[in-house]
Amino acid sequence: MGFRSVFIAVVIATALIVAAFLINSHRPRAESEKSSAALVLASGKCAECHRNLQYSVVHEYELSAHAQKQINCLECHQVAPGQKGKDHNGFVINTAVTAANCRTCHEQIYQQFLHSRHAAPAWAAVAGEKAFTPEQAAFSEGFQPGGVKRAPNPLTALEGNSAFQSGCASCHSVGKPNTDGTIGACTACHTRHTSSVEIARLPTTCGQCHMGPDHSQLEIYTESKHGVLFEAQRDKLNLAAKPAQLTTRDMFVPTCATCHMSGLNGAAVTHDPSERLSYFLFAETSAKRPNYASSRAEMKSICLKCHAEQVVEKVYQNAEAVVASTNEKISAVKSVMDGLRKDGVLSGKPFEQPIDFEYFDLWHYDGRAAKHGAFMGGADFVQWHGNYPMLKHSVEIKKAAEELRKVHESKP
Amino acid sequence: MKANLNWRRDHRLWIEIFVLLNLAGLAPDIYLAHSTNSFRHPAEYAPLIFSLAAPIALWLALAFLKMERPAWWRILGHAVGWMAVAVGVAGLILHLESQFFQERTLASLVYSAPFAAPLAYTGLGLLLIMNRMVPPESMEWPLWVLLLALGGFAGNFVFSLTDHAENGFFHRTEWIPVVSSAFAVGFLAAPLIMRIGRAYLLVCASVMAVQAAAGVLGFYFHLAANIRASGASLFDKLVHGAPVLAPLLFPDLVLLAFIGLWILHQHAPAPAEPTQAHSAHAPAPTP
Repeated sequence: MGFRSVFIAVVIATALIVAAFLINSHRPRAESEKSSAALVLASGKCAECHRNLQYSVVHEYELSAHAQKQINCLECHQVAPGQKGKDHNGFVINTAVTAANCRTCHEQIYQQFLHSRHAAPAWAAVAGEKAFTPEQAAFSEGFQPGGVKRAPNPLTALEGNSAFQSGCASCHSVGKPNTDGTIGACTACHTRHTSSVEIARLPTTCGQCHMGPDHSQLEIYTESKHGVLFEAQRDKLNLAAKPAQLTTRDMFVPTCATCHMSGLNGAAVTHDPSERLSYFLFAETSAKRPNYASSRAEMKSICLKCHAEQVVEKVYQNAEAVVASTNEKISAVKSVMDGLRKDGVLSGKPFEQPIDFEYFDLWHYDGRAAKHGAFMGGADFVQWHGNYPMLKHSVEIKKAAEELRKVHESKP
Repeated sequence: MKANLNWRRDHRLWIEIFVLLNLAGLAPDIYLAHSTNSFRHPAEYAPLIFSLAAPIALWLALAFLKMERPAWWRILGHAVGWMAVAVGVAGLILHLESQFFQERTLASLVYSAPFAAPLAYTGLGLLLIMNRMVPPESMEWPLWVLLLALGGFAGNFVFSLTDHAENGFFHRTEWIPVVSSAFAVGFLAAPLIMRIGRAYLLVCASVMAVQAAAGVLGFYFHLAANIRASGASLFDKLVHGAPVLAPLLFPDLVLLAFIGLWILHQHAPAPAEPTQAHSAHAPAPTP
C-alpha cells in the first residue's frame, strides 16, 4: 500500500475537521452556550419558523435588551411554577408570559409592583375582591387600604360584558390575577417582545390608559411645559438609559416615568408608581395618603433635580389649594346627593337617575381633571376641564335636586 | 443484459436495487421531515410523491430488463434519474429560500431547512444515469460509484455539522459524525486522485465499517433522546426531535461505497508476488 494515498486521505480528513471546528468557534456565544440543550436549540430554532409566521415578533425581540444580553425566546417562554406547559414543535413552552416568568429574573421589581395600585387594586376596581384569593387581597390591602376589599365599579355590570372585556379589562388587567398565582402583566408597559425600558418611559405608554375624561394625565402632560419640551427635544433624550444609572443628563426633560418611578441621579427606582404620591387624587374627595409626608418629600426631591426649591414649593402650595377647594366643592354637592338618598328622594341602584350621572361626572371627570391639572402643570385642565364644568354640574345638580324633592313631596 | 438477471455477479443490478430501496426509504424520511412544518408549502409533497412513485418505476424497469427489453430499462431509468436530479436541485433552492437569500450568514445556513438534504435525490438520480451511461466493466464505473458515495459523505459532514450546531454541540458525542464523515471523505477521495492498490482498498473498507458503526450509534442516540424528550406523542417527538433516520445514512452510504470498493478491487493491481531473492520465507529452489 502506497503511503501517498493514506497521506492524502488523512490530510483531507484533518482539513475538514479543522474547518468544522473553526466555523463552529465563530458562532455567537448566544447560539451555543446555554445551560440546557433546549435553551441552546431555542436560540435560532424559534426564529426559523416565527420569522416567516410573525416577522415583527422576531424583529422586535432582536431590537430588545434581552436579545443583546443573549436571553432567548425559551427563557421567557419557559414553564414557570404554577404554569401548565404546552408541547410546541419539540419544546415545552408557556405561550402566555405572565409576571411569573418575568419574576424569575426581576423578583425585586415584581415585589415593588405588587405594592402598587397597578397590581391588585387595578383589577379589583372592575372585578371586585372576589377575583382574588384572601391572601392576595390581604397582601395588597396592607399597602393600598381599600384598594381590593371593595365592590366592582357598578358601571361594569350596567354596561355589559362586551364593554367590560374590550373596555374596562383592557387597562385594568394590568393587575389581573394570573392562573399561576401571580398578579399582573409587565408587558402592559414594557410590551411583549421588546421588553423595553425605553417604551415604558414614553408618555404615550402611560397614556394608553391614563387618558380621557376620567384621568386625563396624558392630555395634561401634553399641554404642560414638560410635554412641550419632550415633544421638541425627544431626539436628544436618552430614553434607553439604564434605570440604575439614569441622570438628568439622560432625561433633562421628564416623562411620567421620570418623576413617578425613575431613579434619577441616584434616587431609588420604584415600580410602585404611587410611592411618590401624597394624595388619593382619584377619589371622590381626596384625602392624604397614609405615607403623605414621605411620599411628598420623595416627589419633591425628584422635582428638585431640575427645579429650584421655591418653584417646587409654589407648585405644591397651589396644587394642594386646588385639592382642598375641589374637595370642598364636591363635598358640598355630595351632601346634597346624600340628603336625597337619606330622605328617600333617590332610591334604588346607582346610575338609575340622570342626577347620578351628573354627580359622577362632577367628581370623576371634573374634580379629577382639576386636581391632576394642578399637580402636573395643566392650567387648562384646572380651569376649563375642571373648575368650570364642576361649577356647571354643581348648579345643575342642586337645581335638579330641588325639582326631585318637589316631585317627591307632591307624591301622595 | 441477459434475460436471467444475475444478481450475484451483475453489479449494475446492485446499484439499481440500492437506488430503488433508497428512494423508497426516503418516503418515510421526507414524511417525518416535512411534518415539522405540517407540509405548509404544497411543493413539500413533491418529494414524497416522487419517493413513492419512483421505486415502482424502477421495479418496472427491472421487469423490462428481465423481459429482455433493455431499451425500456434504459428509458425508465433515465426518466427516474433525471427527475430525481430535478427534485434534488429544486429542493436545494427551496430549502435555501427560507433564509439564505435574505441573509447569507452561517446562522441562516444552520437554521434554514437542511439545505443539502434534497441533494440525496440528485445523488440517487446521478447513480441511475451513470449506471446506464458508463460501461460496467470499465474502471471508470467503480470510480463514479465512489465519487457519489464521497458526495454522500460530504453531505453527511455538512449535515452533522449544521444540524448539531443548532444545539451548539451540547453533547460532545455530536462531534463523532463530523469527524467520522471527514475521514470517510478523505479516504474515498484518494482513489479518485491517484491509482491505489488493494491494500488501500482494504483500509478504506475498514474506515467505511467505522462509518457504519457511527451511524448505528447515532441512530441509538437520536432515538433515545427522542424517547426521553417530552412531547404530545411519540410521533410528535420523532417529528420535532433529533432526526432519527438521518444517522442511518452512514451505513447506507457504506453499502454504496462497498460496491464501488469491491468492483475497484477487481481492477486494482494485486500486490506484487514476493521474489525468491526478496522473500525470507521462500523455500529453497529445487534442482
